Amino acid sequence: MICLNPKKKFGLLGMNHRNGWYTLIRNPRRLYPLVDDKLKTKECLESHQLPSPELYFSINHNFELKFLREIKFLKEFVIKPARGAEGRGILVLVDKVGTQWKKASGELLSMDDIEYHVSNILAGLYSLGGLDDQAFIEYRVRSHVAFRAVAFQGVPDIRVILYRGVPLMCMLRLPTKESDGKANLHQGAVGAGLNMLEGITMGGVHHSLLIDRHPDTQVPIAGLKVPFWESMLETAAKTYEVFKMGYIGIDFVIDQILGPLILELNARPGLSIQLANREGLLPRLRAVDAYGAGVEELSWERRLEISREMLHKTSSFKKETKA
Amino acid sequence: MNRKVYLFALLLILAAAASISAKVVHGGHTVSSEYSRHLWRINMTMNITGKGSRAKVRLTLPRDNARQTIYNEHFENDEMVFYVRERPDTNRIGFWRSELLDGRKTLQYTFSAQLKSLMYDIPKDAHLSVEPFKTYPVDFHRWLEPSEFIQSKDVIIRRHLKKAIGREKNTAAVIRKLFDFVRGQVRYRSEKGSKDAKETLKKLTADCGGQARLFCALSRAAGIPSRLAGGIILTGGTKNTTHVWVENYVAGKWIPFDVVNDHYASIPNHYLELYRGDYYLFKYVGLSKFEYFFFIDVENMPPVDNRWSLYALPIHFQAFAKVLLLIPMGALVVAFCRSVIGIPTYGTFGPILLALAFQEISLQMGIFFLSVVVLTGWVLRKILDHLKILVIPRMAIILTMVVIAVLAMMVVGSYFGAKNIFYISLFPMIIITWIIERFSVTQSEDGTLAAFQTSLGTIAVAAAVYYVIRMHAVRIYLFAFPEILLIIMALLLVLGRYTGIRVMELWRFRELNRLKGKTSL
Repeated sequence: MICLNPKKKFGLLGMNHRNGWYTLIRNPRRLYPLVDDKLKTKECLESHQLPSPELYFSINHNFELKFLREIKFLKEFVIKPARGAEGRGILVLVDKVGTQWKKASGELLSMDDIEYHVSNILAGLYSLGGLDDQAFIEYRVRSHVAFRAVAFQGVPDIRVILYRGVPLMCMLRLPTKESDGKANLHQGAVGAGLNMLEGITMGGVHHSLLIDRHPDTQVPIAGLKVPFWESMLETAAKTYEVFKMGYIGIDFVIDQILGPLILELNARPGLSIQLANREGLLPRLRAVDAYGAGVEELSWERRLEISREMLHKTSSFKKETKA
Repeated sequence: MNRKVYLFALLLILAAAASISAKVVHGGHTVSSEYSRHLWRINMTMNITGKGSRAKVRLTLPRDNARQTIYNEHFENDEMVFYVRERPDTNRIGFWRSELLDGRKTLQYTFSAQLKSLMYDIPKDAHLSVEPFKTYPVDFHRWLEPSEFIQSKDVIIRRHLKKAIGREKNTAAVIRKLFDFVRGQVRYRSEKGSKDAKETLKKLTADCGGQARLFCALSRAAGIPSRLAGGIILTGGTKNTTHVWVENYVAGKWIPFDVVNDHYASIPNHYLELYRGDYYLFKYVGLSKFEYFFFIDVENMPPVDNRWSLYALPIHFQAFAKVLLLIPMGALVVAFCRSVIGIPTYGTFGPILLALAFQEISLQMGIFFLSVVVLTGWVLRKILDHLKILVIPRMAIILTMVVIAVLAMMVVGSYFGAKNIFYISLFPMIIITWIIERFSVTQSEDGTLAAFQTSLGTIAVAAAVYYVIRMHAVRIYLFAFPEILLIIMALLLVLGRYTGIRVMELWRFRELNRLKGKTSL
């Protein structure tokens, strides 16, 4: 049976509710370009000493395609469109084999293939509105060993939803064979809910089905400890001071060497995180709102505290402590 | 926030309601003291069969006059070329034309009419004119001279005129005598093909046409301008008989006389005038078969007599206005489908345009063409992906191929004799072809599965829009009361603050129900 009022029962946040009450009201229109354009986000993050993967160079126009030849000196790198949404158009090259590069999936790409991909990016194939776009080439993040068991050909990332500067809900996103190494739930990646107090994974979701094991490796998803958990939440809370958007998703990756890095921001974070956490967003949103106006103005330390208090107040954690 | 929105929506609805009620109460001729008015809805259906050559059909269309108001006219042209000829002193004529007509077509003309009954007094002091051609201005001469079937100069007619009126010179008395003469002498008999005036006088049996011509001929012979008027006697149901009566010009007024039904200087409120003069209601060339029916029903909505209403527009602009009015209606349906149900579509306008296209070519044809176009695009895309072509040229190639596919379909259809494929006009084809661009973009953005899902969603929503805008009531009321657009806006405002769960989200988050036992939230 499908529950006819999941909003009441689970505190489920629907698309209409998210758009009408949260993103439309909390996110000022003028900040969208900053978030939608990954190059701008990156510059902004770097200028505020927030960690992100290092930018090698960007290609802004078709005539700059010749600079792409510089990649022949690179062994591993990532090519991204500046305004691609939902992980579209991202090309991850993990190794160089002769004159060719190897994708995470093992497929070999020649210089021509890569040039074609970049020119597609420039023509706006992957951009939000089909507008002309820029491509950039950045440091390839190597997945932290903690994820070795569950990560399949790609880097898992951690989505933190920040509401008025307070970390609200998190999930670990695991690439699958189906998602082609990408960590987007849309494309078939697995989302694993996270206990935000500890940074330990709970169950997972794959294409809106609840799962307990990774579909490719059959490794149990629950019980994984995310490294650098506290410092990551700190970075998330600090990010609000740079990007004053009230309802935002921050995507972290954890690099073997560099630790947590902010990969991108998302002004319209998806709703599947509720499935991953088996919990609706509404109770938490309301708990944060209960602190009244001015939550945004508090220091990041205080906002992290609020986040913990909120977790204790909302139902599922209460139940755990009871048990 | 919500309070403000609801308040604004309420204001819009109130404004619309006020405007509509003002129109209903104070608009139109309907508030006048005329008590014996009738509202009718008349549909003329012509089933025509071509014989594979050029074909032309003409139909005289009713006009507004002192006692009838025509409104809410609607033409179904079945893809034939159609135009209306309106000249000040001739009948209003609708023409349908086709360069090559093979097979059956159905033409329909539907309109509403508000009719009044009228009684006239013939002034007692009017006298016959000795030299009518000098008394009456030149444009009345055609109503005095004999015509092919109204032989007013004929000796027999003149002799009977003498016999009927004697030395009477008073116009009122003359007309009364002529009326009684025709009524007394000629027996009514329904017949195929009306007689002319002379023939009627010889046989003394005739239908309405023959009797009217005789009365008209006698009146003209007496020097009274006289003409035939033709139309339908309205009674609920289906019929295909028309009626003819006479109008005589006395003391500056055209006064109706119906000899057959004994309406002397009066006309009842169910007589609809379609043409004036000795004329045919229909004329056609190039047809092997022609059938017509009148479906007559009662209309409830009075005409809106307001120079600022849409009825004041010329008739072909009315057709544009009708289509334009349907767009917001469609947008409402799309908004509902997207925000409340959660069906993915290609934008807001996409499904509306498709629905308009479906309306011109049938729903089945539309979906068939759409499938062909989308599949062609999809297959081609797969091939082109190997060649590594830039985005825009690739899109252009796909578009070209789709055009080739459509043309090929037409050639194949023509070879196998499916002629109806040619009746598709340009507009729907362009809309359907445009879908391929959206398909292609969605395919590269969200993958093939999502593109097919969105296409299906678009078709489903377009079909919903199609069924809504096809509703007769929707069209009629939107046109009569464009204020409804304000109500649509109000509904959209409320919809814009709808924060409930979408129906599709119930499915998306269905798995949460598995947790029912585990967590008691």
